[in-house]
Amino acid sequence: MYTYTEFDRAFVRQRAAQFRDQLERHLAGRLPDDDFRALRLQNGWYVQRHAPMLRVAVPYGELSSRQLKRLAHVARTYDRGYGHFTTRQNLQFNWIPLERAADVMDALAEVDMHGIQTSGNCIRNITSDALAGVAADELIDPRPYCEILRQWTTLQPEFAFLPRKFKIAVTGAREDRAAIAWHDIGLQLLRNGAGEVGFKVLVGGGMGRTPVIASVASEFVPWQQILLFIEAIVRVYNLYGRRDNLYKARIKILVKAEGARFFDAVQREFRAILEQDAGGAEHIIPQVEFDRVASSFATPAAFEAPSAAALRPAGDTPVVYTRWLARNVQAHRLPHLRTVTLSLKRAGQAPGDATAEQMDLAADLAERFSQGELRVTHDQNLLLPWVREEDLHALWQSAREAGFATPNIGLLTDMIACPGGDFCGLANARSIPIAAAIEERFRDLDLVHDIGDIDLHMSGCMNSCGHHHSGHIGILGVDKDGDEWYQVSLGGSDGSTLSGPSTPGKAIGPAFSADEVPDAVEAVIDAYLAQRRPGERFIDTVRRLGIPPFRAAADAARRSTAHEPALA
Amino acid sequence: MRFIDPSRDEWTSTADATVTPGRGPVLLSWEQWQSVRHDRPTESRLGVVVPNAVDVADLRADLSRLALVVLQFPKWTDGRAYSQARLLRARLRFGGEIRAAGQVLVDMLPLLQRSGFDAVQLRDDQSLDSAQRALRFFASHYQGDVLEPRPLFARQAA
Repeated sequence: MYTYTEFDRAFVRQRAAQFRDQLERHLAGRLPDDDFRALRLQNGWYVQRHAPMLRVAVPYGELSSRQLKRLAHVARTYDRGYGHFTTRQNLQFNWIPLERAADVMDALAEVDMHGIQTSGNCIRNITSDALAGVAADELIDPRPYCEILRQWTTLQPEFAFLPRKFKIAVTGAREDRAAIAWHDIGLQLLRNGAGEVGFKVLVGGGMGRTPVIASVASEFVPWQQILLFIEAIVRVYNLYGRRDNLYKARIKILVKAEGARFFDAVQREFRAILEQDAGGAEHIIPQVEFDRVASSFATPAAFEAPSAAALRPAGDTPVVYTRWLARNVQAHRLPHLRTVTLSLKRAGQAPGDATAEQMDLAADLAERFSQGELRVTHDQNLLLPWVREEDLHALWQSAREAGFATPNIGLLTDMIACPGGDFCGLANARSIPIAAAIEERFRDLDLVHDIGDIDLHMSGCMNSCGHHHSGHIGILGVDKDGDEWYQVSLGGSDGSTLSGPSTPGKAIGPAFSADEVPDAVEAVIDAYLAQRRPGERFIDTVRRLGIPPFRAAADAARRSTAHEPALA
Repeated sequence: MRFIDPSRDEWTSTADATVTPGRGPVLLSWEQWQSVRHDRPTESRLGVVVPNAVDVADLRADLSRLALVVLQFPKWTDGRAYSQARLLRARLRFGGEIRAAGQVLVDMLPLLQRSGFDAVQLRDDQSLDSAQRALRFFASHYQGDVLEPRPLFARQAA
């Protein structure tokens, strides 16, 4: 993990002090709601249904056991004992009174954590591959670049008040586990023909009301110049992005509207920074700085070589263990190591939720089995990146006791879901009861394993925090006359190899009522099971057959919505 | 950072953009500036109010004749003027005053200062004490800016 310097530590403390000053002025009535809003947002504080929500940054998903224990402490001391991991690798608390906000920021700063730019119309916390630095299919470790980007974006003064939020995702592997084409900027690390490292830069992806897949802004930007290229993109956006309509303010709309003119403007701006600006070239990253940051991410020495301990023969292993090995354990770039996903998708808890006790237990597992390091995954699970092969069985037993060993990673019940209307002030409908109903319907692990790989994503509103657009099955909460309804879509992709090129799913007819959703999902799954070819995955069957047979199956499951006039 | 007291500001606006020789500095609207920029005599010190939608590169040829550029915040969360100020300083090498006007809140001050503003006219209800305190929270920053073009890594290497 990146090791904080004295500068980094002082900076987070200074930010906490600045926020305390703002909060105190607000609580004293000297900073009105309207003015305080953008300030608290840029520190991660929303105002939600029940209380403020705090979104804590987990930069590019890397978390230490010490930090996770502090998050558990915050959950226990200031919240109601739990937190929620998000698709953007952050952690959210839902019940902290605003009066205690500054104390929480101080408590987080002590372990190098903060909420800087986790919300607001600024460059948000940068996300990456949860397997960054350990993936077997990785070409270039993205973490040093992520950290350099984190530092550059942190309180960048010119881009704090953009037309709308701005999200950057980075990957350095063959497989895209960071959904980069769905981001405002997606960065793919690669080597050019001469073997030099650089970035393919995508711009203008996004979900929301208008799902758009990002376009290529440059096939290759040398890594040394990436800050300047991003500066050029964000400056063009800051100056020309729409500010008159919230729903047309993301950079995707500017890119769509201007097309080639946008990309020409970015190239012109990039050259102007390099050739004309006073100090323009100062942000070219020197090798020595890259090396300094990269040294934080060196492989822990203890893991460089296989240990002397022999692998015990497995003997009679229960099927649930072999399933766990198949689903929750992934290959590592070092052949004697594995990465292990701790599933946060289990009966009785919302997807991505963890109690303070569970956070402590996960931190303990990380200390025992993974060098004290964890990752937060895009799919809202935790991951241990440094597990020895010979420790897998012991880890499984401990993970099982702690409730983290549901062998469902990548399966139907490993669904992505936002907190929805139970918590979120923006949501049109609740997500958690729908997720619970689907989990209950598909609790039979034999069935879930038979269904196989599938992405089910659920959002409580068009803001798409649950990434419904990119789900093989997407569920979107919509409001109609004050009631909760759910639009079901099929065939979306996050851009992974399994899912195919990034694309939004297609809605299968009018929205369903809440109680129809599990039936509709089951009907779609039954149609797949009935019509799949041997070995064919859900997404491939949907592509082969198209939407109509699945729509017909889902329509047959309608009850209250069966007699509504069909919408096109 | 200079805090402008509007009641004592030396800059005056004029309705018709005519110049009275010897008069104090004149602040022109963008429209006034467009109508007189080709023939305006140079004896008066001139300032111009630049709208957010203007590409400040259009001022390139005229900047030597301007002592003041006023950039605007129609809402305090509308951040276009930060980019305009940065371009005026770092790209166009404008050395005159860049003033923030409109919805200017004390909490914007660190951003304004780092983007190239050197004067602000705070919104009426803002406290000068809070503004001055807002400028003192951070000892230094990661990235370079108009005041210190070198990022942290370049400063540490020096």
